[in-house]
Amino acid sequence: MPSCRDDSAAPVVTGIGVATAFGYGKAALVDGLREPRPVFGELQRPGRQVPGRAAPFRGAELAAPPERLPPRVARVTGFGGRVAVAVLAEAWEEAGLDDLAPERIGLVIGGSNLDAREQMLTREAYAERMQYLLPSYGYTCFDTDLGGLCSSHFPIRGFAYTLGGASASGALAVLHAADAVRSGRVDACIALGALQDLSRYELQALAALGALSPGESCRPFDSAHDGFMFGESCAALVIRRPAAGGKAYGRILGGAHLANGNRGPEPSLAGEARAILAALAQAGLPPEAIDYVNTHGTGTPKGDETELAALRAAGVVDAAINATKSLIGHGLSAAGAVETAAVLLQMREGFLHPSLGLDDPIDDGFDWVRGAARPHRCRCALKLSFGFGGIDSALVIGAVEEGA
Amino acid sequence: MDRNAVLAVLIEQIRIVEPALAEQEIKAEDSMAAIGLDSMSRQEVLILGMEALGLNLPMVQLFGPRNLGELADLLHAKLQG
Repeated sequence: MPSCRDDSAAPVVTGIGVATAFGYGKAALVDGLREPRPVFGELQRPGRQVPGRAAPFRGAELAAPPERLPPRVARVTGFGGRVAVAVLAEAWEEAGLDDLAPERIGLVIGGSNLDAREQMLTREAYAERMQYLLPSYGYTCFDTDLGGLCSSHFPIRGFAYTLGGASASGALAVLHAADAVRSGRVDACIALGALQDLSRYELQALAALGALSPGESCRPFDSAHDGFMFGESCAALVIRRPAAGGKAYGRILGGAHLANGNRGPEPSLAGEARAILAALAQAGLPPEAIDYVNTHGTGTPKGDETELAALRAAGVVDAAINATKSLIGHGLSAAGAVETAAVLLQMREGFLHPSLGLDDPIDDGFDWVRGAARPHRCRCALKLSFGFGGIDSALVIGAVEEGA
Repeated sequence: MDRNAVLAVLIEQIRIVEPALAEQEIKAEDSMAAIGLDSMSRQEVLILGMEALGLNLPMVQLFGPRNLGELADLLHAKLQG
């Protein structure tokens, strides 16, 4: 097997913070990846269910985050903001960012329209008393408020911005953060896959679209696949120059982010294949160097079929392959960052998680990881993320040799 | 509702907006700025206070008072119509 290119100039990930239905923190995610437990149930958070709907929406929700904000700030901070601060703190502390000049630290937040549920609740609460709508809504209603919250709580003074890419947002944040470090704009950049706080309106429309599973589980690439399960999540990755010191999880060897020309949810075989090939080209690697593919894998029939066709078209056919969304659901804006964290954690721990619900793969020609976790020393991984609005992205992630 | 009750309502809103002041004595002579509320927090207190009092006034009518006592006097006068 060709080895992964040891690009000692490539940006490295030195800190990870994460929250999934398995719990807060990396240890909870590693445990859940190694031995998945069921996390899906009826959604409970206020504003998620449609009253009178025959089948309640199902998915996975987070526990309350550890409170890290002073009460004055917490009062005007929504659920997604409090989760982001908890997750960012974990990554920040691991990466030791307090040692860096704040002006040399950047933050890229993947996601847009982040607080739909809380905004809906606000509109409902104030519909009959608009004159009392709180002025703080005038700034918390913008996604930029999450950048403001994070950069007021942590000494981040390089830049902070949000980047919309629908379900690819988290992966795009990783890509843009790596670019910012590679170009020298900052010495460290945090990629945050923000929590997408869906309301009943988005859930209803995604169900009507056929994207949301009407069933009880998410089964990517299984013949019984019928859509995704929503799963609240959030992740932060600290990306630094390789010479920064500290133990790295892995290197961002290459990536691609392109427009495939579709407007809505339609996947694009040509676009996905082009993204894979472009990411490999930037990494300077042939397709056979990839030994693990962490798929976008939402469980929608057309999306799954198109993704496998794109992998074939790009020549990535021999790698072990799984779908993290089968375990924790689809975090939408967060997914690409959470799944990149999952790739890096599996790399460090030396295993690959099983895909759940994969009893009858739609294509036997791939090396599916299913049933149970598999020991695997990953050297070179491919992470795919696609988003509504014609967004295709791919990341090539290389292992860091011991002692590097 | 008398003027002191209006003042008590205002102080209650201040403690919602700035929970750190929960145990601190707040007096009529205090201004919101002097006890540490920034302009955004002061606006929040005014809106919350108007709702609690059932008033609906343009914000511009609330400019002028130099401390909480004067603000309570003004709002009390508005309540009297």
